[in-house]
Parts: sequence; structure tokens; C-alpha cells
Amino acid sequence: MRSIDDFTRPVEYLSPLDRSLGEILRNWAEKEVIPNRREYDEDWEEHRLIEPAFGRLMAELGLQRVLFPEEVGGWGLGHSDYLGTGSYRMFEEIARADSAMAVAFGVVFWPLIMICNEPHVNMRLCEEFAPMFCETDKAVFCANAMTEPQGGADIENMDLLKGSTIETTAVLDGDQWVINGHKLWPTNSGGVADLFGVVCTTSPGSIDPEDFAFIFVPGDAEGVTQGKPYQKAGMAADKNSDIWFENVRVPSWYRACGPGDDFKYFKEVICLGSMGTVAFVSGAMMNVYEILKGFCEEKTYRGRPLKENDDVAGLLADFVRDLEVIRVIGYQFARMMDRPDLYGDRWSEEMVVKGRAFKYFAADKAVENLGLVMNLMGAHGSDRVRDVEKHWRDLKIAQLWMGGKQLCQMEVARWFFECETL
Amino acid sequence: MADYKALPHWLAVWIEIIGQFRLPSVFFAVCRVIESVRVDYEACSKPFMIVEGEMKYQEIFPVPREWVQDIDEFMAETVTRWAEQEVIAGRLEHAEDYDKLLVPAIRKLFIDIGLQSMLWPEELGGGGLGTPEAAMTVATVLEQVGFADTGIGFLYANSFALQHAFAVEPHRNGELLQELVPVFCGDEVAVGSLVLPGYGSGNPGEGGAFHGLAYQVAAESRNGGWALSGKAVRPQCSGKTAALFAVAFDAGDGEPAVVLLKSDDDGLSSGEPFKKTGLAASLNADLDLKEVEAPGALVILRGEERFREMLSVYYMCCAAICVGSLLATYEILKVWGDTRVIKGKGQEFKENPLVASLMGEAAGGIATSRVLTYNLARMLSRPDIYGPPGSQATYATATVIFKHVTRSAMLSMNNTMELMGSAGYATEWNLERYWRDVKCIENSVIPETAARVDLARHFFGCRTL
Repeated sequence: MRSIDDFTRPVEYLSPLDRSLGEILRNWAEKEVIPNRREYDEDWEEHRLIEPAFGRLMAELGLQRVLFPEEVGGWGLGHSDYLGTGSYRMFEEIARADSAMAVAFGVVFWPLIMICNEPHVNMRLCEEFAPMFCETDKAVFCANAMTEPQGGADIENMDLLKGSTIETTAVLDGDQWVINGHKLWPTNSGGVADLFGVVCTTSPGSIDPEDFAFIFVPGDAEGVTQGKPYQKAGMAADKNSDIWFENVRVPSWYRACGPGDDFKYFKEVICLGSMGTVAFVSGAMMNVYEILKGFCEEKTYRGRPLKENDDVAGLLADFVRDLEVIRVIGYQFARMMDRPDLYGDRWSEEMVVKGRAFKYFAADKAVENLGLVMNLMGAHGSDRVRDVEKHWRDLKIAQLWMGGKQLCQMEVARWFFECETL
Repeated sequence: MADYKALPHWLAVWIEIIGQFRLPSVFFAVCRVIESVRVDYEACSKPFMIVEGEMKYQEIFPVPREWVQDIDEFMAETVTRWAEQEVIAGRLEHAEDYDKLLVPAIRKLFIDIGLQSMLWPEELGGGGLGTPEAAMTVATVLEQVGFADTGIGFLYANSFALQHAFAVEPHRNGELLQELVPVFCGDEVAVGSLVLPGYGSGNPGEGGAFHGLAYQVAAESRNGGWALSGKAVRPQCSGKTAALFAVAFDAGDGEPAVVLLKSDDDGLSSGEPFKKTGLAASLNADLDLKEVEAPGALVILRGEERFREMLSVYYMCCAAICVGSLLATYEILKVWGDTRVIKGKGQEFKENPLVASLMGEAAGGIATSRVLTYNLARMLSRPDIYGPPGSQATYATATVIFKHVTRSAMLSMNNTMELMGSAGYATEWNLERYWRDVKCIENSVIPETAARVDLARHFFGCRTL
């Protein structure tokens, strides 16, 4: 009998831990998430059902420590050759159950990339923050505070705007940074995050990369206020809110990489975000495949199982074709992140652009396909019993985050066609 | 939005009275008077007329104006005001709260404004609109309802299609109308829900097929009436709250028929409402029917042509709701495009060519959807010109237009969400609600594959499908 494991992956790229890590996460998903996920929409504010599942995943199974170097209690993924493919498998398996949990988990890694990845490991900060994640029996979350009210994802449009629109300021006062600003939408905000990576400017309006600063701020620092979570179309396990930083003081060495390097390595953060999105898409689509297969064997049309109707089969074929392609693309990009010696630096403009292209291709295809699957399922497509509509709502959000499609289009066109004014 | 201060004083007073009291028949009578005296268009702010300097969504997107009668327009204006006062004003505080927002709004619309009894004869306490022209009236009304709340529109679309089968000429059934006066012309909200053929499940209760889709119930002729049985039968809406279900079944030799069942009929039970993507106004639940007996008098239609007519009317109603949702989408996107910047300060969002091209695509989808829906309403309201509403040709057109409008709506809403980024999926901006609701309508009314095969059968003469 065919299963989700029959979809193609470039197996020679996979990490030695792929099989065992995949099995652990699949078991966790089957036991801790899938039986409860239909109730998650009502749990968006309290996380009474969601928190225990996170606790098991991140603290008990220990996955919140994977990125940190071994010498501070981590698993050393950040300086392994499998940052991309190893992360991809984890994200994919979690997203098969719930892509919001996958993004909340992935964002624990997101700001930490700035300090845990070779060749820009900041051991002092690793030692500072590792105990939060490695010496606890509770789930601990990070958040990347990037988006601001005035321009949305303009901040991520780095090659064009070079940080000039950032309004959150960081001023060095003796041996402390003083941070002021207002951020929106970070995953794991709304009271969840224990540690923020905050995108700031040391000189508002400047296009000098040295003025772009990425500074860590503990969630309980004086002057940090997280708003109430926003209600959204889906992704209940991912809380988002406003965050205000009012004269927040942190040590000067909480700046991740330093002048120039913060700007440079922040692009690696964007690459991981793009790769993660593809993984969330392929994981969720794999689950839709499982549901759809069962549905088309159970239901009949014109006296035959749905899947035995030629016109239905055409749509089913289109769906698995796209899933097959997305998965191969996703693992390929993960491999490209693993092997900078072959594909270039993870923070290069080329990698950012290719990640954007893969991300918006996968997300567009997912939204298109899941919409068609819901139509195929008729009245059952929009009931929560089947879970397809949940994935449809969740992946629509994945399509829109990180600047949405239009930013991806501009960056891709700018690089491949050498546009000069976009 | 309609400005009632611009209406002639006497008319404003009448509409105010109608807004405060339950006087549907008086309302419709007034509308007829208005129609006869031909109120000066320039004196009023109307949903379908251009008023210089006040370009609003109603005026920007085209409507075949010559087909819209005064009564349609005044109905639409009344419903526009209902939308503002009863739904939109409470949206911020109550979001989609069923009890606090939707139930009172449904009551106001169905009972106080009188949509529930619109098709009933005046002498029975109804609005007296039981003629084919009611199709155009309901198109104008449902557009406004869909603008406010797609789910409420969906409830009324079901109720209207159900009533249309026996309350509209030439199929008016006087005895049935008389019998159902307490249901539809009383003080309680009465939602009617269609139970249409769908995919088969191998349940023993299923019987026969219509265009390849299985009837959800098996019917047995008994004592001049019918006994119906079925498990996990899924109505289109309101399985938990509907007063009546119009259940399609095979009356023998493949002949479709539809019978009315009351929610309190012996043997009929509903499960708990299931959770779904959208349409919060519909507390839907699957039904179990254990030999539910219905007298032959409650059979509201028999034969393929009559069944196709009911479906065509239903598709038109659903298309009109989606047009309303599209108009709401336009308003949301307009505000977004006017107030945001892109690529740093100084560049207005809507002035970016890439953004503008998507906005243009959305506008095109809204315009064509609106024109098509009014054209379908016109076809259904004028059988003397376009032939029987249950003809294969009209049914095919209705299917085409319904599928076009829902597909266009989803495309426009998807594009709008993309343009709005995170705000597109934030509940606060309301857009995601329309997106979820319209998706439910798109996939609930007719499975995509069945619609395609229906069209191929008609346009290409397929003989074995």
C-alpha cells in the first residue's frame, strides 16, 4: 500500500539522523497532536491543549537544544553538515500534524542561527543563552522581531532598502544598548517568547549595512511589552502580537555578530525561513495526501470509488505531481544550505533569491492544490472532521508571511534579470 | 452606503417604520406604490446609480440597470441599512458570535424586514412577490446580505430556493402555502435547508443517483406519501436549527423529487453541529432519518426539469452572495491600497505597478461576476424571453455562472490577501472571514467534478456520463 514515504527525496543528501529523528517526530505527532488538532482553533488564545504538546516536543524530547554547540549542552546541528536537511525533516514531520507548531518550533532556531551557526558562532552568547534551552524541563521559545507597523515586510527587502526603513532604534549607552521601537507579528510573540532577536538600526534612515543591528533581548527585560495575540484565519499554535520596546537596556555584547556582519548574516535567517516554509508546505501536503487517499477510496461518484473516475484521477495526479516536485525542491534547497562549499554562502544574495523562488512556488502550489482538493471533496471539504480545510487555512498564511508573494517576485526578478530599478 | 436622509421625507418615514416594526406586507405594498409613482432617481442615493462625487462600490461595478426595478432597489437599500446597523456595527465587538450578533441580525432580516415571507401572498400575510421577477429582487437583496455576512446570505439562499419551488408562479401551490403560513409568516425565524445529492458512501440508506451523485436518502412509497431513511445525511446548512428540510430523493425510475420534512418529524434527528471552515451563521449538523413519513402533499416538486429549476435558482442566489462578498473585498482592498506604502516611504501601495495589476485583476473579477449574476437572475425572472428556468440550457448557464463567480471570488480574495500580507489573514481586517465563507459555498453547493461533467454533458453531448 502506498504511503507518504513513497514520495521522492534525494536520499544521498539526508543526515545520518534522518530516519530515527523522523520516526520520533512521527510518533510524537500521531500521539500528541493529530488526535487533538481539531480543537486547536478554539485554543488560539490560551494554548491549553497546545502547550503540553510543545512541552513534550521541545523539552522532553530535547529538540529545543539541537542548534547549540555540544560544549554548551546542545546537539551541534548549527555546525554540522546537516543544518538544512536535518531541519527540513523535522519541520516536515511536525507540519504534517500542524504547520503552526512547525513554525513555532522553527522560530526557536531562527534568531539563534545568528549565533550558533558556523562560521559566525558567537560562543559568548551561546554560553549566555544555552542554559535557558538546555537546562530546563519546559518548552522555551524565541521570536524574531522584524516587521514594523509603517512598512510591513519592507525590512526584509534588504537589497533594495538596506535597512533604511527600520524605525526601531538601538543606541549605545556605555556598555548597554538602549532599544526603542514597535514591532508586529513575530511568531511566538503574544506572551510566548522568552528571547527576542530584534532588528534595529543604530542610525535611522541609514543605508550603511553597519547600522543594521540584530540584538538579543530577553522576553522579561524591563520595558518589553507583548500584546495580546491576534486572532487569525488559522495557525492557532503560532501566537503573534504587537511588541513594544521602551528604553529596554541589554548588555552591549547582546548584539549578535557586530557592525556589517549582522546585516550579512541576517540574510541567512531569511534563507532558513524560506526553506522552512517549503518544509511546512510539503509536510502539510503529505498529510492531505493521506486524507485524500482515504476519502477517494471511501466515497463514490457515478457508482465507482471517486479515485476510479478518470476526471477525479486527473486532479489527484496533479496534486501528487506538485507534492513530489515541492518535496524534491525543498530537500534540494536544504542541501544547498548544508553545502556552501558547492552552492555558495547561505547569506549570499543568490541563496536568498533562490530560497524566495522555492518558497513562493511551493506556497502558491499548495494553496492552489488544497483549494482544488476541497472542491473535489464537496461538502466534506470544508468540515473540520477531515482536516484538509485546516491545512488550507494554515498554508494560506505560510504563503503570505515573510513579505508575501510580491516581495519574492521582486527579489527573484531583480537577481535573475538584473533589474536595476526595482 | 445608502443615505436615507436623501430620500423624500414621507418615504424615509415609511422605511423607518418598516425598520422598527414587523410590517412586511406593508413594506411591499409601499414598494409597489413607489414603483408606480416613479420616484426621481436623482433625489435618492441608490445602490445602482452613480451619484456625482460619491463613487462607492455599488456604483463603480456595473449592473444592468434597466432590469432592476424600483422595488428591487428599495429592498436592497433597506437591506443595506440592515447590514450597517445590525451586522457591520456589531462586528468589531462581537466578531462572528452566533448568539450576540448573528441570531439578532437574522431575526431582523427574516422577520422584521420580512424576507422570510417575501414570496407569500399578501392575503396570507406575505410580501406578495411570488412571481418569477422575484429572482431579480433576491439577487439585489442577497448581494447586500452577502456584503454584510456571507453565512446569513447562505441561509436565505437555501430558504429562498426551497420556497421558490412552491410559492412562485407558475408553480404556486395554494394548499401548501396555506399550510406553511404559521412557519414562514409567523414570529419565529424559519430557515429552510436543502438536502441535495452528493458523493455516495456505501450507506444502505442511499438510493439512486442524479447526474452521478447519490441521493442521500432512500425513499419508499407509503400511504400516498413517502418514508425516507438515511444516515449521516448532510444538509446544505443549519442542520441543527432549520425549521424545514427540502430533501431530494429518487421517486422511482430515476425521477428526482423533493419533499419537505419538518425538523420535529418523527424519526428525524440531528447530531451536534460540526466545526467547519466558515459560514458561522449556519449551525450545520448531519441528520439521521429513520423511516420519516411525509405526506404526498409535502412533495414540492417532481421531475428533472423542476429539480433543475430549483438548483438554478439556488446557484443564482449563491452567486449573488459571493458578489456581495466580493464588493466587501473591494472596499477592504481600497482602504489598504490608499493607506499603505511599499518599498519605503513615499510610494503609495496602489501606485506600484505589480500591486496595481493584481488590483486590476480583482476588479475585473468583481465586475464580471456581478454582471453575470444579474444576467442569470434576469434569465430566471423572464421565462417568456429565456425559456423555462428548469431547461437544460438554463441549468447549464446557472452552473457556469455559479462556478465562474465562486472561482473568481476565490481568486480575487486570494490575491487581495496576498496584497495585504499578514493583515489578509488577521481576523481584525475581516477579509479572511469572507475568504473562508466563500470557500465553503464554492465546495458545498456542488462538487467540482460533478459540475464539470454536467457541463460537458450539456455542451458536448456526452452520452455515457
